[in-house]
Amino acid sequence: MPYPIIEHKYDVVIVGAGGAGLRATLGMAEKGLTTACVTKVFPTRSHTVAAQGGISAALGNMGSDDWRWHMYDTIKGSDWLGDQDAIEYMCREAVPALIELEQYGVPFSRTEEGKIYQRPFGGMTTDYGKGIAQRTCAAADRTGHAILHTLYQQALKHKADFFIEYFALDLIMDLEGVCQGILALNIADGTLHRFSAHRVVLATGGYGRAYFSCTSAHTCTGDGNAMLLRANLPLQDMEFVQFHPTGIYGSGCLITEGVRGEGGFLTNANGERFMERYASNAKDLASRDVVSRAMTIEIREGRGIGPYRDHIHLHLEHLGPEIIKERLPGIAESAQIFAGVDVTKQPIPVLPTVHYNMGGIPTNYYGEVLTLKDGNPDRVVQGLMAIGECACVSVHGANRLGSNSLLDIIVFGRAAAIRCAQQLVRNAPHRPLSLQAGQAALERLDRLRHNKGHLSVADIRLNMQRTMQQHAAVFRTGDSLAEGLQKITDIHRSFAHVQINDHSLIWNTELIEALELENLLVQAVVTLKSALNRTESRGAHAREDYPSRDDERWLKHSLAWCNDQGQITLDYRPVHMYTLTTEVEVIPPRPRVY
Amino acid sequence: MAKFTLPPHSVIQKGHTVNHLDNPQHPKKFIIYRWDPNTGGQPRTDTYEIDLAHCGPMVLDALLKIKNEIDSTLTFRRSCREGICGSCAMNIDGTNTLACTKAIADIKGPVKIYPLPHLEIMRDLVPDLTYFYSQYASIKPWIQVHTALPPDHEMLQSKQDRAKLDGLYECILCACCSTSCPSYWWNGDRYLGPAILLQAYRWIMDSRDEDTGERLDNLEDPFRLYRCHTIMNCTNTCPKGLNPAKAIAEIKKMLVQRR
Amino acid sequence: MRLRSHLAKIRGLGSARAGTEEFISQRLTAIALIPLLLWFVTALISLAGADYDTAVEWIRRPVVTTFLILLILVLFHHAHSGLREVLEDYIHHEIIKTIAMVSMKFLIITITVGSVLAILRIALGN
Repeated sequence: MPYPIIEHKYDVVIVGAGGAGLRATLGMAEKGLTTACVTKVFPTRSHTVAAQGGISAALGNMGSDDWRWHMYDTIKGSDWLGDQDAIEYMCREAVPALIELEQYGVPFSRTEEGKIYQRPFGGMTTDYGKGIAQRTCAAADRTGHAILHTLYQQALKHKADFFIEYFALDLIMDLEGVCQGILALNIADGTLHRFSAHRVVLATGGYGRAYFSCTSAHTCTGDGNAMLLRANLPLQDMEFVQFHPTGIYGSGCLITEGVRGEGGFLTNANGERFMERYASNAKDLASRDVVSRAMTIEIREGRGIGPYRDHIHLHLEHLGPEIIKERLPGIAESAQIFAGVDVTKQPIPVLPTVHYNMGGIPTNYYGEVLTLKDGNPDRVVQGLMAIGECACVSVHGANRLGSNSLLDIIVFGRAAAIRCAQQLVRNAPHRPLSLQAGQAALERLDRLRHNKGHLSVADIRLNMQRTMQQHAAVFRTGDSLAEGLQKITDIHRSFAHVQINDHSLIWNTELIEALELENLLVQAVVTLKSALNRTESRGAHAREDYPSRDDERWLKHSLAWCNDQGQITLDYRPVHMYTLTTEVEVIPPRPRVY
Repeated sequence: MAKFTLPPHSVIQKGHTVNHLDNPQHPKKFIIYRWDPNTGGQPRTDTYEIDLAHCGPMVLDALLKIKNEIDSTLTFRRSCREGICGSCAMNIDGTNTLACTKAIADIKGPVKIYPLPHLEIMRDLVPDLTYFYSQYASIKPWIQVHTALPPDHEMLQSKQDRAKLDGLYECILCACCSTSCPSYWWNGDRYLGPAILLQAYRWIMDSRDEDTGERLDNLEDPFRLYRCHTIMNCTNTCPKGLNPAKAIAEIKKMLVQRR
Repeated sequence: MRLRSHLAKIRGLGSARAGTEEFISQRLTAIALIPLLLWFVTALISLAGADYDTAVEWIRRPVVTTFLILLILVLFHHAHSGLREVLEDYIHHEIIKTIAMVSMKFLIITITVGSVLAILRIALGN
């Protein structure tokens, strides 16, 4: 196997250049650590760019606010599966992190006083659920774009090293389970690059593309999650997949919750504002899982819209062209392109669409990866961190609130940089890698590249996506999940028969798609297995055969390991029912009503 | 001299035609530029006929369909599929645009797809954009503040000042505009091109930035800025509806004003 | 293999801090040419069919002499700007560009001086 390998040594290697990856990259570089950011797409093409509505922080620019209220909302939104120490950290640090972000140059929309404009968002309340909070900081409806570009600019300013269009293949772990670096493939020329680092930070995002219809980009394939599984480490809470209530019918493109924050609402075939029946207080601004379930029920009971009665209408005509132009211009553009709708005159046809993975790599609030070992549920994996959507801190628990994900990436990207700056010494010598380091990944790559089979990458991917769409949907049942698990296990096995027609090493996108598919498949299996295992309904995981939350048995995180044969081992970690400081008290579980 | 004809190794040959449709309802031809660095040689255009009855509405959907079902070696960049990441910029039907937001129905006859013009090609529809990105870095596209930052609140900006950034900050760096500009074709090594100048103007216009003068100093150059001859291809082609030509004109106006 | 960074090439010799004067003069001369050319063309039309002496008489009128000289100066100044842009746009070989640029300048100056001299001879001659 004549693969030339090029060696690199850095203090920190960050995998992924979305919001979390870039925030960490610039933070590390700013603190003087030698930093490499390895990314499979040019940084501003990462999917953070598509985030629309905003980023939450209790700045109180538009009415009184308190980070404790934000914390309460997040815990309630998580259906009490979130770790309360981490949630406290996120909501408290949101304020300085946001101010810092503005000072990096993000072009936030403004209030009359010149402060950052904040809009209402689903599940965001004042005074522990009593009023509606305006907490979500927005740059029109292009907040993710504004933030991602700004972070890239700051990373340029701090001269971080970027390895752009490099595909990370695997972690390099030593025999004691310490992470020593990564192996990556340069997509442009096929060279392999072995990075040694004192700290590897995974910021690889979610795996929405395991589903047929999702708001996620083609590149959202959860590569970091799969790398972790291959390193014999567990993923956490993988059964929790968020469906965004308003994906455009047909294309699945996202329409921000900010539309409803600005006063938009949903109607069924009867023209009824049905959310009033499901959430009498919050109505259209209830939490996403609640709204998605309500929409699914409406459609199921025959009150969907269109010839097939299979979608719902989202109205914003009544907001007037001025407000739409100022605050929701991107939505107007997307609706026109993908639904042929003039939003100043017509409603947008929408459908709940896979949007976000609450589950992922278990970490603490420093960003350090955790595992359950020798009875210790909080055992730190040395040398390895995870941040952003790929991480499960867990601040989102069973359901994430809108605008908490941009916050998550900023706060924990920043936290990872702070942690590394405290713990690492600049340019410290690296422990030598073993001769075998990265060998397994290399063999996997070579085997795949020359694999002879009869199934195309596209066929296997489609099988997986349809199975996930059908069996791990908004509502789930044990039978359907079991059937889905059987199917997905077979599909996973069928990957052994994949045929790669392109043997080139220069821009071989078929090979990259195959590697991504391999990554997706194992996550799909873990998702279905975890979903079948959790016999309760909590947040985004709605079991029709177990319709209520069961705190006695299930107030715990599920962990899933997957071996080479695709066999899954499950275990659990307790939810952190304690706070970080005495500034706030634990919020014990109670019924979740909006 | 500026090159007005393709160098010999870039002259495009006619390639294969792939058509295995039985009774297509809406057949449509896609003529796609191909170049494989492994085999080298001349680039070619391959023709694929697909049935639009089983294809999404956008050109990207057709490319994905061809890659998934006919020729898995077809190479192009794509990511968000909703016109915000800027990956799938290419020349479609003679115009630089994003494949994901360009409707097939808007194109009469066969759909001709080429990479963005006047860039080095890495493979098929994938151009090398590293020089473009370095030009972006060269304008220092980050905020410059010399006053001490407020420790406990954001920098303030009036709604009116913020409104001046509308139409500027939305750029997705897809490079459609720059690669549509003849001046950038002839002098792209020294002329910054519309995309980068739009971003330079974005920072010049930001009321929070304190380096406006230095930014103008760095642009005031016969090549970096003044190669713009107001051809307007940039504004006509921008898939996000932005107006780089106007931004460039505004920069020139400011340079005149400060004399 | 690229041994020099793109950024080094792009930053190059730095900004010339020039071009704005040229930009202003190009536009000013363009604006000035509008009335000058309109006047000149109108005058030519009205002189159509006139004999040599009438034309000479016309040129000798002080106002006409002034405007004709102005027209020549502005026209060739503008032509110089335009040609310079064209040469900068399309000729990338440094030596050839310098030769072309210098030749163009000399040519323009020669034509300008010759034209002005011709007008002056008619205007001041007997």
